[in-house]
Amino acid sequence: MTWLAAARMVVMALVSWLAAVAVSFMLIRLVPGDPVDIFVNRMNVNASEELLAAYRRAWGLEHSLIEQFLIWLRGFVTLNWGVSFVTGGEVSNELAPRLAWSAAIGFGGMIAALLCGTLLGFRAALHPGGLADGLSRSMAVAGQALPAFAVGLVALWLFAAELRWLLPFSGGAVERLILPIALVAFFSVGSVSRLVRAGFAETAAAPFMRTALAKGLSRKTALWRHGRRQAAIVLVAGIAPDLAWIVGGTAIAEIVFGIPGLSERVVEAVSSRDYPVLQSYVALVALWIILGLHLCALLRRTLDPRHGALPLRVQ
Amino acid sequence: MMEARRQIYLPVTLSLLGAMLLGAAWQPHDPHAVDLNNVLSAPSLTHWLGTDHLGRDVASRILAGAQPSLSAIAIVIVSSIGLGLAAGMAIGFGPPALSRFMRWLAETALALPTLIMALLLAALFGAGLLAISAALVVSTWAPYALSISALLERLRGEQYWNATLALGSSVTGAVRRHILPNAWPTIGALAGADAGRAVILVASLGFLGLSADTGRPEWGAMVHEYRMFLFSEPRLVLAPVLATAMAAFMLNRTLDRG
Repeated sequence: MTWLAAARMVVMALVSWLAAVAVSFMLIRLVPGDPVDIFVNRMNVNASEELLAAYRRAWGLEHSLIEQFLIWLRGFVTLNWGVSFVTGGEVSNELAPRLAWSAAIGFGGMIAALLCGTLLGFRAALHPGGLADGLSRSMAVAGQALPAFAVGLVALWLFAAELRWLLPFSGGAVERLILPIALVAFFSVGSVSRLVRAGFAETAAAPFMRTALAKGLSRKTALWRHGRRQAAIVLVAGIAPDLAWIVGGTAIAEIVFGIPGLSERVVEAVSSRDYPVLQSYVALVALWIILGLHLCALLRRTLDPRHGALPLRVQ
Repeated sequence: MMEARRQIYLPVTLSLLGAMLLGAAWQPHDPHAVDLNNVLSAPSLTHWLGTDHLGRDVASRILAGAQPSLSAIAIVIVSSIGLGLAAGMAIGFGPPALSRFMRWLAETALALPTLIMALLLAALFGAGLLAISAALVVSTWAPYALSISALLERLRGEQYWNATLALGSSVTGAVRRHILPNAWPTIGALAGADAGRAVILVASLGFLGLSADTGRPEWGAMVHEYRMFLFSEPRLVLAPVLATAMAAFMLNRTLDRG
């Protein structure tokens, strides 16, 4: 890949992020209902016109929409995310410690899903129709067809109430993170393993595999050595829906297991229409998904010397 | 094997949908009737699943809770198939610029996190059926559009397609005659998955405490309300959890070709 193509990709990623953030910003601002009125109504006080105007000034609402967006954008980039309409605290201060919890669950879940999914998918490709293949298929079905909160609550009931293996609400950070990470991973392992299996299956059917086996390599070694690149290409080409899942799954896992992550605050912000908090959250989510998508595209280009576009897998 | 599986799933899912419809219309007890003399009673003949912390009949609440899911399924399937067909046609027949734009839009929509969209829309328009359905439709139309356009691409090479047009048939007529019958199996599989997803999303929002109407029974909202009883009265949580999981799973599996 040339430097020009790389620069193009960075610009595209930036433009996508700006577009996503601008659309959500405008949507939020265009909905009827003045946030100051809503705020004052909640406080149950008779506010004077001067007070209302003071709030509007403090929240930057007297500027035009475009100016508001630019002010917000400059603030977001310089880590000054504005003031919560409800608590009055700095949004960045409120969200930073929460982001750490959420990121631990999200990244932990993704890494666990990638590790287990790759292992399972490889075993499934090694013995098509075998135990690992069946498990991988069932996990994929379960991941698509079961509600995450249901699985989480059943796990909580089973492991914490019946078996008493874990103390999910009172233990240390590691103990508290095990179940949420497992929950996020559970719903991704299936699809990851199917993608990995499909990638290895292409290699398993290739004529050069016979040569490799004739050289005396075991089937396992030959498949891993010759198939892993193709498997990685298929994986990064089809992982997009899982990037989105990680965000939603982390939100559900935090609420189920009582983790003080971003979601708790965001759900609160939804019911109280706390726009600065929502806006920052949307910007973070968009950043994660767009970075993820572009990283996948970059990996695919690096891994695949043909630079060809693989068909997007729609499940 | 596929046929055999469909034969097992289809009657079960149809009866499940029937039971949901029936449950939404009729319950053995008033799902709102509070009876503080009979709280947290164990399952019995009069109260099949017992009563909750306010003495309300859990079975009746589960039955009544089918209604929000059914509404969401109906709205989502009708509107995403409609939008998906239209967008698929635009990708297939539209001018190149429109076609490219629509394809980009569809591929982007696939990467949108549905639950987060629903949260955002719930903040903007209130946590109603509108927000839930809109969030689902925003991402679910895309697979229909992409598979319809793939089908169009394939049909373009077929002789009967060109023959139909050469014989003077209008494009809409040809689409109705040749494309829709070919597209049904794919559309059916997607619709089944979407129906399952609609059930999951309605319940997930309810579980997060953002249900459309806090007074009306809804499976996710019931889990939210009863979750403090998970350790003492697991039945209260497991009943709506299993109802959601079963409905979502069956809907998802019936029409799937995999």
